[in-house]
Amino acid sequence: MIAQLRSELFKQRTTRTARVLLASMVGVTVLVVCLHVFTLKAADLSQAANQPKVFGWATTIGALFAALAGAIGITAEFRHGTIRPTLLANPGRTRVVVAKAAAAAIAGLVIGLLAAGLVAAIGSSGLALRGIPITLDAGDFAQMIAGGAAGAALWAILGTGLGTILRGQVGAVIGLCVWLLLIENILIGNVPSAGKYAPGASDGALAGLMPNAGTATLLAPILGAVLLVAYAAVTGGTGLVAFERRDID
Amino acid sequence: MIRTDVQTQPALAVRDLTKRFGTVVAVDALSFALQAGSITGFLGPNGAGKTTTLRLLLGLARPTSGEALVFGRPYRELPNPTRRVGALLESGDFDPGRTGRNHLRALALACGIDFGRVDELLELVELDRAADRPAGGYSLGMRQRLGLAAALLGEPELLVLDEPANGLDAAGMHWLRGFLRQFAATGGTVLVSSHLLAEVAQSVDHALIIDRGRLAATVAMDELSDGSSLEELYLELTGKDES
Repeated sequence: MIAQLRSELFKQRTTRTARVLLASMVGVTVLVVCLHVFTLKAADLSQAANQPKVFGWATTIGALFAALAGAIGITAEFRHGTIRPTLLANPGRTRVVVAKAAAAAIAGLVIGLLAAGLVAAIGSSGLALRGIPITLDAGDFAQMIAGGAAGAALWAILGTGLGTILRGQVGAVIGLCVWLLLIENILIGNVPSAGKYAPGASDGALAGLMPNAGTATLLAPILGAVLLVAYAAVTGGTGLVAFERRDID
Repeated sequence: MIRTDVQTQPALAVRDLTKRFGTVVAVDALSFALQAGSITGFLGPNGAGKTTTLRLLLGLARPTSGEALVFGRPYRELPNPTRRVGALLESGDFDPGRTGRNHLRALALACGIDFGRVDELLELVELDRAADRPAGGYSLGMRQRLGLAAALLGEPELLVLDEPANGLDAAGMHWLRGFLRQFAATGGTVLVSSHLLAEVAQSVDHALIIDRGRLAATVAMDELSDGSSLEELYLELTGKDES
């Protein structure tokens, strides 16, 4: 198990994928946070209810890139066929997927920390530059960063599970983007009573904020954490069962 | 009391092995066994079920019925399988963005083999100079040699090679033949699938000919006068005219 985890962490470091993903995340974070902090009206941004439109991106971006890291980690093996030598070296399929999910969770934690840290730094600087008071206190920022990092780690496991189920890289990547950037917003915006239980909104609850929640009330952080753990466990578990059962082409 | 079944247990055994994909029977009640210290060619036309049989043997696919055993067990139940079985699959499986050296290192880490063995193998397959370039830029022959290095990582007793001669030039073929001879001479067992009959006739001790998922013949090469008669036998056994 430890040997397989070391192998998976080594794989992460030895292709350009991780670096490209990290660089894209930094670029997207800078762009999205700047766009919101500099284009929204000062009068609106001064209100506490609207500041998640800037700071809430910590959760969405962290979750998205962590989930992509998880999904790409396993789908790349199917795409390039390396899943065959991987399984010849270690035929314990459960061990391989669990090691992959653990490696992805570590990467997700780093991605989540970085995303939340960047959003906090850029968002605060931007608001200060425009002379808009920041309504989040130190406790809110701490929850945003810690919750964002933990949420991203769980999303990385969810991404690994989804990638194991789907196997196709394009499908997994599109599915995650559509879900986190479109569906979650529609759910929380139009049916908040149900939408708050969705995995993205659970992540928002854990970190204390999400970008497009509007007037919707998020779940308590602990409930968000429990739900997100359940989503990650169900997706990861389904992936495990599918991977154990299926033949490798 | 001395147990003799340890010596007589075949390195590889397939019993009544059947694999169906929907209505297609890819492998049909196939049975054979390989004794240690020999090189066996696994021959048959495209679609005869060679690669499917190898996938079943290596635990990548599950048989519909029957069993495929290496050293008396299903591959997936072998502890530390790379120490006993090395496999090269036809597909040449590596990430094009990862270097040859790192491809082998990732596998070495998974089975607790030190990086010194990786360097040793890169030298053996003459990839040491290309080892730090992304494998996506390798020629077909270099990919085969990288795959062979991966198969040899755990110093196995049994080699399962799917079309290893593909993409090798004359010097590479000569090297591979010599390597397999020496491997078998020191007690190693080899199962090598191929469609290159002339090559197989020169390199193997036995040939298994399969057609439409069934064993058509088992041939001991020293009972044949030369390579051309293997070709005649092969064409006769795998002829499509009766269908």
